Amino acid sequence: MKTTRDYSHMPVQSPACRPYQPLLNLHLLIKSAAGGLPLSSSLAVLCLAVLCLAVLCLTASSPLRADDNPSNAVKPAVSWHGFGTLGLTRTDNDNAEFVRDLSQPSGAGKSWTAKIDSLLGIQANIDFSPNTEAVVQVVSRFHADGSHDPELTWAFLRHDFSPDFSLRAGRLGTEFYMLGDSRLVGYSNLALRPPPDFYGSLVFSYIDGLDVSTTLPVAGGLLRGKLFGGLSPEDTPYGPGTTWNQHGSLLVGGYLDFLDGAWQVRLSHAQVRFNHEAPTDEFLRLLGDPLSGTPYLSLIPDMAIADHWARFSSLGVVYDQGPLNIQFMLNQIKQDSPAYSDSKAGYVQVAYRFRSVTPYLGISRSLTSREPLPNSIIPVPGLDSITESLVSQSYLDQHTYTLGGRWDVHKNMALKAQVDWVRGTPASLFLFKNPQPGWDGDMTVFSLALDFVF
Amino acid sequence: MRRFITLPLLFLALLNYAAPAMAEPVVVVNARSSVTQLSQDEVVNIFLGRYRRFPGGGAATPIDQPEGNPLRAEFYRKLVNKDLDQINAYWSRLIFSGKTLPPKSAENAAEVLRLLSANPGGIAYIERNLLDSRFRIVMELR
Repeated sequence: MKTTRDYSHMPVQSPACRPYQPLLNLHLLIKSAAGGLPLSSSLAVLCLAVLCLAVLCLTASSPLRADDNPSNAVKPAVSWHGFGTLGLTRTDNDNAEFVRDLSQPSGAGKSWTAKIDSLLGIQANIDFSPNTEAVVQVVSRFHADGSHDPELTWAFLRHDFSPDFSLRAGRLGTEFYMLGDSRLVGYSNLALRPPPDFYGSLVFSYIDGLDVSTTLPVAGGLLRGKLFGGLSPEDTPYGPGTTWNQHGSLLVGGYLDFLDGAWQVRLSHAQVRFNHEAPTDEFLRLLGDPLSGTPYLSLIPDMAIADHWARFSSLGVVYDQGPLNIQFMLNQIKQDSPAYSDSKAGYVQVAYRFRSVTPYLGISRSLTSREPLPNSIIPVPGLDSITESLVSQSYLDQHTYTLGGRWDVHKNMALKAQVDWVRGTPASLFLFKNPQPGWDGDMTVFSLALDFVF
Repeated sequence: MRRFITLPLLFLALLNYAAPAMAEPVVVVNARSSVTQLSQDEVVNIFLGRYRRFPGGGAATPIDQPEGNPLRAEFYRKLVNKDLDQINAYWSRLIFSGKTLPPKSAENAAEVLRLLSANPGGIAYIERNLLDSRFRIVMELR
């Protein structure tokens, strides 16, 4: 558990950072209140903070509620919802492990495993008034620390100031890309899982922060905008058994949507400023300690990643007309630090519903660019090859062809089967775990899933 | 010759027989509302939670028929050519990402009428034959 000192070096002088200052304080308050307590207690404190906000918001909005049904004002109505997936996955290649995204520390090989897609989420919506709602969501899935320990994914308060302007504060889902904040809800998606080429490198699921969204009728359609900002409370798997602490990494972003009939077009941008260095030294120790304990960054400071930004830009187009659904997305990730390669990805998915069965086809592509590597400040034999191998961990050059089907077997229940053919170069390592020398970049993934909501 | 007449007549009779089973939803608002007409896109925006305002700017509160009512399936089929599984999947995305909530679902068809008559900003779809002076048709679904 960190103390408030961890954030003291964070510059707040830039105007762009100023709006998040109160938020930062809230976060510090929560952190210091929970200092030294186990994780679950800090979550409880966060819930409490959200409830306090709820009460504040309620008092502030009470004059608005005078017109509404008074029976709602007395007792908040709580509704419970849940979603889940029972999944099975195997591949045809034991030279690397397939993961759903990089938040999973290990993946599937040639024997069937349930850990890739299986998950359970429970959500409570607490209505304080028709315009004010608190949402708390807990999800259990295989994640960064290798466990299925429940995570508090959402815990926020939403207030609709009008039908077209909302503010949410607390722990919120991030929308780096279109559909990004519902990628765990299998039932809401046609495909068995979001294409890893596109969503796989996205390890941020939620922030402690706030967002505002607004909608305007424009040119016969609707223009919808959202801005969000906050601090990450998550960890990311790094090497085997090591995690990269993302706590306090600053995430800011927004998007513009245009909706017209069956069309939805989204331009979005989000960026992250990493708060901690990646655990490079820990990782090198696992590889036989080639630097004999000398901190890697002391030899090559240009490879630092803390206080550097990663920038995610994307374009998404969805055409959804009756039984036909077409998704097309492109993204570009730019890394200010040379420790990670810049990358581009895209996918197209076409689905058509025949009664209760929806077959779909997809193709996705991901590719990183190689940039010149920084030099060390003093010549150390073998350092360049260490740097090269560290950067090459994030290299990508692959296509994936996907064929699958969704069968809505029952109300709120869908059965899915999917095959993915990954075709890449042997250097395309980033989206796989534990690659062996025999890895050639090709893998076929077989998956089955039962998605449900209740 | 007689056969040529009988067959189409029989066909018409069958059609007629089938007609009462075919629900015919009409989109209605409270008669006290100033809204007189809505486009299909506007009704889609309100019922799918994209933009819950009437063209004049007033807040729109959609009311759904109960889940088991065939009128509900017919309404969404005619409105966006989707079945209820697709509509449920759509709402599960929005519910679990903590965004807009689905329209309030009435307990029964009579409650739809009661809720709508009590709410000047309400909007619902009902069987045409339940129409009375408390409501105004703002869109016909074809």
